[in-house]
Amino acid sequence: MQSVPHADETRGKSILHRIWYSIFRSPPLPVSELDRAQSVANNFFLHIHSAKVHERALRFKTTLGLGLMTFFTFIILVVTGILLMFYYVPTPEKAYDRMLDLRSAVFFGTFLRNMHRWSAHAMVLLALLHMMRVFLTGSHKSPREFNWVLGVFLLLLTLFMSFTGYLLPWDQLAYWAIVVGTAIAGYAPVVGDQVRFILLGDSQVGSEALLRFYVLHVAVLPTVLTLLIGWHFWRIRKDGGLARPREDLALAPAPAGTGSDNAPEDAPPEKEER
Amino acid sequence: MSQIEAPDYERLPVKPDKTYGLMCVVPTRSEAVNVQTEKQVLAWPDGLIRYVLLFLVLFMVLAVISLLFNAPLEEPANALHPPNPAKAPWYFLGLQEMVSYSAFWGGVGIPTMLVLLAIAAPYLESKPGGEGVWFHSSRSAANWIFLGIMGTLGLLTLIGTLFRGRNWDFVLPW
Repeated sequence: MQSVPHADETRGKSILHRIWYSIFRSPPLPVSELDRAQSVANNFFLHIHSAKVHERALRFKTTLGLGLMTFFTFIILVVTGILLMFYYVPTPEKAYDRMLDLRSAVFFGTFLRNMHRWSAHAMVLLALLHMMRVFLTGSHKSPREFNWVLGVFLLLLTLFMSFTGYLLPWDQLAYWAIVVGTAIAGYAPVVGDQVRFILLGDSQVGSEALLRFYVLHVAVLPTVLTLLIGWHFWRIRKDGGLARPREDLALAPAPAGTGSDNAPEDAPPEKEER
Repeated sequence: MSQIEAPDYERLPVKPDKTYGLMCVVPTRSEAVNVQTEKQVLAWPDGLIRYVLLFLVLFMVLAVISLLFNAPLEEPANALHPPNPAKAPWYFLGLQEMVSYSAFWGGVGIPTMLVLLAIAAPYLESKPGGEGVWFHSSRSAANWIFLGIMGTLGLLTLIGTLFRGRNWDFVLPW
């Protein structure tokens, strides 16, 4: 595959042309299928996506756009979250005052906090709905088992993300929700109290808990979540794109790793093992 | 990747003693490989334009919600004044509701089993069929089990959110 343009192609062209090609290696508005495929395959951010997708995968009914929307809320949360970090101080003395500052002293501060809050709720809800979509369409089945498992961990991380963020405003709602939530962790046998202590850095919700939740919320969990999202997306491509009916698969060449088991699905409905 | 079919050697025998050259390139937009059977479209632009549109719609919906409704901010945290009832975030209220029946089973035992069941689900349901189809008839048992679990969790969350008042007593929200 020729991914680097021939030196003759850029020689003698304008400086803008040469700069564009030095970065993207494909024309800005590609017309041929080859250029269009390469503009995805040659792009650092897009190459995680397959250059071609089955037309069925793009129909709204197939996915309802739920997985993408979950990802988009994450993007919105990262951007608004970083902006909020500029104004926030994770100490019991300062945290609540900073919330008031967001209302009164920060340009668009209320909107920023609202976006972060509602997007966080939306992300939890959309992740749950995405999980339901995947199961009810049977998309978790072989060969996509492991991507489902990654999805389960992504859901747990999303819940933990939301939970750690819930404490940060340091108001009554935040404080007592975390008291109740972390009490649940304490009900685990043998290790319950230790787990709770590690989480809070203390036997009660206080300044140590606020600092730990803050670090988890802005550094540890987003990093892990970003890595797992990348893995989750990469697996879609490696598993042969989105799940589609066997009737369609029978016509197409087998995706890598599934062998040649493309029998059309015309067997009578059989009982589940569960 | 598309499979490229082997050339028809009988009709077009390749002779090793001859040299072959590319005579011309036909200026079309696509290479005609598996066009009929694959039904594949290009990620750029067919997919990516849809993704961007979806993002814009989602962003606008969230922006309108953020303009209309303010995020809650109550009194400063006070460890000496617990509200009654103190409630976890909404997605944990199903757990909190279960905890009110049994601390261990509601808070740890059942949630752990549900997570393990979720991880095991695709390996338990190993019989092929029904992939990519909503509510496929061959998977109705699995779907009903799944909907039963999700529905129960949703119902418990709803009860915890709306129907629990002082001392976690049952109240009506209206």
